[in-house]
Amino acid sequence: MKDSPVANANTTEASIRHQMNAIFQTVFDDPSIQIFDAMSAKELEEWDSLSHITLVLAIEESFGIRLKTAEVGGLLNVGELIALVAARTGR
Amino acid sequence: MSLGSGESRVAQQRALWSVAKDALAAGDHPTAMRKLATSITPQDGFQAQARVAKLFASLPRASLGLRPLKMAIVANSTVDHFADALRFWLATAGLEAEIYIAPFDTTTQTVLDQSSELYQFKPELVWLFSTFRDVRLDIAAGNNPQMMRTTIDAAIARTTTLWQPLLDRLNCIVIQNNADIPAHDSFGNMAGAAAWGTRTALRLYNAELAIAATASKPSNNVVVFDLDHLASEFGKARWIDSRYWFHSKHAFSFDAVGFVAHAAAQLIAAAKGLSKKCLVIDLDNTIWGGVIGDDGLHGADGGADGGAEGIRLGADAGADGEAFVAFQEYIRQLKARGIIFAVCSKNDLENAQEPFIKHPDMRLRLDDIAVFIANWKSKPDNLREIAVTLNIGLDAMVFVDDNPAEREMVRQQLPEVAVPEMPDDPALFIQALAVGRHFEAVTLSADDLERTRFYRENAERQIERNAFLNSNGNNGNDTSNDTSDDNSNNLAAYLDSLEMIGEVHKIDDANNINLPRAAQLINKSNQFHLTGTRYTEAELRTLVSNKEHSVYCFKLRDRFGDNGLISVVILKQSESALHVDTWVMSCRVLGRTMEEFIFNLVNAAAVERHCKIITGQYIPSAKNKLVSNLYKRLGFDAVMMASSLENDSRQSTRWQRAVSTPTSTPTSTPTSTDQSLHPFLQPLRPLRSSSPPLNLVTHVRTTTVSDR
Repeated sequence: MKDSPVANANTTEASIRHQMNAIFQTVFDDPSIQIFDAMSAKELEEWDSLSHITLVLAIEESFGIRLKTAEVGGLLNVGELIALVAARTGR
Repeated sequence: MSLGSGESRVAQQRALWSVAKDALAAGDHPTAMRKLATSITPQDGFQAQARVAKLFASLPRASLGLRPLKMAIVANSTVDHFADALRFWLATAGLEAEIYIAPFDTTTQTVLDQSSELYQFKPELVWLFSTFRDVRLDIAAGNNPQMMRTTIDAAIARTTTLWQPLLDRLNCIVIQNNADIPAHDSFGNMAGAAAWGTRTALRLYNAELAIAATASKPSNNVVVFDLDHLASEFGKARWIDSRYWFHSKHAFSFDAVGFVAHAAAQLIAAAKGLSKKCLVIDLDNTIWGGVIGDDGLHGADGGADGGAEGIRLGADAGADGEAFVAFQEYIRQLKARGIIFAVCSKNDLENAQEPFIKHPDMRLRLDDIAVFIANWKSKPDNLREIAVTLNIGLDAMVFVDDNPAEREMVRQQLPEVAVPEMPDDPALFIQALAVGRHFEAVTLSADDLERTRFYRENAERQIERNAFLNSNGNNGNDTSNDTSDDNSNNLAAYLDSLEMIGEVHKIDDANNINLPRAAQLINKSNQFHLTGTRYTEAELRTLVSNKEHSVYCFKLRDRFGDNGLISVVILKQSESALHVDTWVMSCRVLGRTMEEFIFNLVNAAAVERHCKIITGQYIPSAKNKLVSNLYKRLGFDAVMMASSLENDSRQSTRWQRAVSTPTSTPTSTPTSTDQSLHPFLQPLRPLRSSSPPLNLVTHVRTTTVSDR
């Protein structure tokens, strides 16, 4: 388990979004990806059940959080992901 | 892991991945592969493993010199992410794997159905990736051993049933996981303590599985993958991430993916004949401390100090010295199981070989070494020569050197050679070499066995230990009948089984090779030190010349190794009394009856000097409470002193004891205290050696009384 790399209380949803975008680019190995709230597996061909786990694990490590079991499978789009991270990191 | 180092590590990895990508783009695939391999270790977390696996997947393999491997993974858990990492780690072990993953949770159908895709794929290796969840052991609390046996036999049969169809139809190697015994059980400790416990049952299952695999025919085609051991090594507390078991049936934590993939890759490579065959070792600061050419074998020998202290090796050379001995012992064991052992050192040959011939603490001997190279040529040149001499490939070699510059040179010039990163602390050398799992094997050939007596000696030791245990276990399971007599017999039997040999060396003008180490021991001892006296080396030198003084040092070895110089006693005669001026002993040999052995020598010295009485003193310090009752235990009487304050524990005490002559027994001596208090004061035991006279029972046998 890693500590949260970001302890700054002033960071905002925008910074989460920025960090999240970088995670998507890395996980899907595509620097051109620009995320948006409604973005889901439908918009991203490589976003399947296996890469979903890779994505969730990357988010956990990057933000220093652990998702609950129910949340791992329940996240359907980028907006939900960002909201959840914001709630968990208290940003 | 601190965040700082974690972040710089990630930055380092990103830099290497970027170089790898550039090399890939430039068509330099071997460089890309090398950069990927150096960017990651098995211990790295899942993000890094996934990243490297992804980069590796985009890498054309044709120019990497890998051997093709068709393998299948059959599992009742999800192994897709794991298989990606496995492909990469197999490549680092020399294999290009094409992996078929059988449909999730269909193990039995897949194996038994002759028309399944598995058989169409025709793998040369099938990995039955089972976990504890697949071993269904229905054992109720309190079940009797017979029911337990039946249940385990049934579970073993269910597992082994799957082997034969695979062996018959595919002519393949089968790798079978054993059960990764879970960390948690509702019975807690009892799960592993009770005969019917779940952990007990799984342990028995794992043992039976190993036996069944070894006995399977054709031989060596079924190999157990010791998943339980890996889980333990990784850490059972974090081995399973339950969230991903419930969410997607991942049987173990994602952070263990690299760890398991690497271990599996090394085992699979061994099964395909690709494991390492030869260990090449540097000498200075690798298998002993210091530089033989500068420090010499023993350093200060006798006369004035030349400044050099000798190479550090053995218990006498401190903790470092012991660590080097342990590392040598590990190498010796590798050699004994059939790993070829070679030396490659920047040294003059004569200097380099001297410790092997003369140093008493060397575990490795010249005849352990297949090729001994000591010269001033570059290490890569010498490694090439060793490979030619032994007629093995460079890719069969592991090179161990404490010097980072030498390691880097070999890595750059001979990328085929495995070069483990060595820490700068010799205590960690074994681990640093072992984590690479370079010397995995799936079988032990007759050749291996003939090359060595290691296993035979081990077996003999085991037989003796069992005999010793059985002789004390006549009451069967009922341990409540144990008596204190049994316990003291057990202790005596245990001590005898250690086969301890004590050496007594008298230090005088003529024989003073042990003097520096004796002085060291006196000055560093705190706990077993009766008087707290300190003597410099020079003072000790003066002292050994005095007629009224005798200085003895003691060494102890047993069947498991040499403890080195562990005790020093300084005796001073005044008229008919022999006074124990100083007595220090290393705490590591406490409880071995070494004290009794030493006292017997002191008594013999008193006899030699025609003394009537032995006197001793205990001066309490902050650390020596350990020996406050030593003299009492050895049959001394407390001597009341005029100045003594009653019940003051910080007060020093004086003790005396009549000298026992070979014909007398302690019972006949007037100064002896109540016999019942002193269990060691038994009638004389038959002597195995004529001197010194044994008047206290010791389990240490003697070889040398003095150097003269």
